[in-house]
Amino acid sequence: MARNISRREALKYSAATGAMATGLAGVPRLVAAADPLKVGIVYVSPISEIGWTKQHSLGAEAIADTFGERASITAIDNVWDPQAGERVFAELASTGHGLVFGTSFSHSTPIQKTAPRFPDVAFEHCSGLKHSRNLGTFEAKYYEGTYLAGIAGGHVTESKKLGFIGGFPIPDIVGPGNAMLLGAQSVDPSITCSVIFLNSWFDPAKEKEATAALVAQGCDVICSMTDTATGVQVAEQNGAWSIGYASDMRQFGPTKNLTSFMLDWTSVYVGAARDVLDGTWTSKVRWQGVKEGVVTMSPYNDQLPAGVIDQLTVAEAAIKDGSLHPYRGELRDQQGNVRVAEGSRLSDPDIRGFNWFVEGMVGNLEG
Amino acid sequence: MRLQFEPRPTPSLAAQVLAPIAAFALTVVFGSIFFLVLDLDPFETLHVFLVRPLSSANGVSEWLLKASPLILIGLGLAIGFRANVWNIGAEGMFICGAIAAGWFALAFGDGDHAWLLPLMALAGIAGGMAWASVPAFLKVRFGTNEILVTLMLNYVAVLLLGYLVRGPWRDPFGFNFPQTALFGPSALFDPLVGVYRVNTSIFITLVAVGIAWLFVQHTFTSYRMTVGGAAPAAARFAGFRDSHSVWLGLLAGGGCAGLAGMMEVAGPLGQLTGHISPGYGFAAIIVAFIGRLHPFGIVLGGLLLSLLYMGGESAQIMLRLPAALTRTFQGALLFFLLAADFLIYYRPRRVGRR
Repeated sequence: MARNISRREALKYSAATGAMATGLAGVPRLVAAADPLKVGIVYVSPISEIGWTKQHSLGAEAIADTFGERASITAIDNVWDPQAGERVFAELASTGHGLVFGTSFSHSTPIQKTAPRFPDVAFEHCSGLKHSRNLGTFEAKYYEGTYLAGIAGGHVTESKKLGFIGGFPIPDIVGPGNAMLLGAQSVDPSITCSVIFLNSWFDPAKEKEATAALVAQGCDVICSMTDTATGVQVAEQNGAWSIGYASDMRQFGPTKNLTSFMLDWTSVYVGAARDVLDGTWTSKVRWQGVKEGVVTMSPYNDQLPAGVIDQLTVAEAAIKDGSLHPYRGELRDQQGNVRVAEGSRLSDPDIRGFNWFVEGMVGNLEG
Repeated sequence: MRLQFEPRPTPSLAAQVLAPIAAFALTVVFGSIFFLVLDLDPFETLHVFLVRPLSSANGVSEWLLKASPLILIGLGLAIGFRANVWNIGAEGMFICGAIAAGWFALAFGDGDHAWLLPLMALAGIAGGMAWASVPAFLKVRFGTNEILVTLMLNYVAVLLLGYLVRGPWRDPFGFNFPQTALFGPSALFDPLVGVYRVNTSIFITLVAVGIAWLFVQHTFTSYRMTVGGAAPAAARFAGFRDSHSVWLGLLAGGGCAGLAGMMEVAGPLGQLTGHISPGYGFAAIIVAFIGRLHPFGIVLGGLLLSLLYMGGESAQIMLRLPAALTRTFQGALLFFLLAADFLIYYRPRRVGRR
């Protein structure tokens, strides 16, 4: 169905991207915070031993460790449907929680609708793209991690086909998928990557099927960006290499896990809690990667040749010092059109709005 | 000696009154033991579950907001259930109602149209009925089992919705997340009070309760359907047509579920997403039976189930109970309620060893 784009929406969009580009600052601080501080955290999937939600729970633990008696944590997990999301955010905000975290792109509409209703509460939203006076956002540069993992994958693939599984075709999944292939293509430009979207962050049964399907199509390196270790596990069972996400997933793929790109949000969690406690909290846009230590690589598989590991170490250092950017040109899309010219790189707003696949990706964004 | 259950010649009036009280007492006993084993204070925990959710204005608002669709769907389903028309497809009908209403919201939502909401409500009813007419037609024409057809159509509806929000109706500025744009203000119900989420659509449910009560108590059609459900052969002998019951039962369920779907997307959601129902269509089946298929009972059933959902969340927030444990407690209450109702129609009897 065709829709006209209203001016209001266009403004909304440009405000969001504009804020991203400038890293927006200078919003007035909130009212003085309570001490001790009650911190509410909403998880999108069940808390488990490993994965996306686990990494966020480590942030919660870090707050408890750092501030002891001065902070108490309330966590509620497996909140993914929007009706429950809005209710839970409002419930936390109305029961004395001075700082409330949403931890998923799926929390976008609920947290964006709740924040204006509770102007004295500080909201922090991971993966959020819109921010307001009392709603800050934080996000990782996953693509730096997938690019490095992709280099490792490029060295081990024999079929020259990688497989990528994503939760939803949002920019923060599409981009890293592209970057993984670009990393692999830096080793061998003929490599391709097949993509499947699950349309869920947590659906181990569907993820298992998707992984098996990719392996059956000949993909011999699998990366799954969801909230589980299923992709790593099923790849191991099928003799395919795997790339883990969020946590170190070696235990689920003891022989075939190449590496995991891990997320460490503790600085964000502790920093936000400190600011609220000090009464200096303002809503910020944070977007950090390898350089800031938010994205780190787990130890590489020891079956990788020493030369490859050296190359990965050099590439990681280059990403850190800015001399290597995963999205440097020339980048072509699936139709072969040049989207980023040689000598330049994809702009930050375009990275955060990534909605196309690079050449060599097999699949589409319809999910 | 062993215990045997036999049907009562007439339902026991005493049991009808005592059943819910007994069920509640058993739940409290079970809950207390369960919480003690988990090292929790039973009084505090029960308080958090059953009282705390309603101790704030926001809590009451959320309670009514969640109960409203459960009651509305339950009312429609009960009309079919009384006639032994087993509609397990309210989930799909809810979704189709939401899709039909959503189409109008997306097409006209940016303008200021007073007629848009009523039109969306009609579209919601029509969408739910259209989905319900498939199993009704198949049942009347080919004698297919409506349980299977309605159940399977739920999955079809979910896939249809998924296709729309991932494809043609996807928000062009939604960063590829499978959802439509937010509806404009004229496609949304107004909040009842200030910042709370409960909205004017709750009056639709109230009116529906009245209509359902009039229908059940004061119409011959309802009587015919009930006879057809209780004694099909007698009903046929009396000249009552089965096919009328099937059509009416399914269309009532579909219309109510579709309207509930419209109220959900024009209320708390404000857009279509891949998951617009947190299982309302299935939960409403429980609501209908807790309410013993009576409109007023269904109101109580819907309020209870809504309270249990909120109590579960409140226990997670206040006591840090894992979701699985809160669901065990919810399950226990529902189990005791339905088990106690069994004693209205059956009585235990000791049977001596031969």
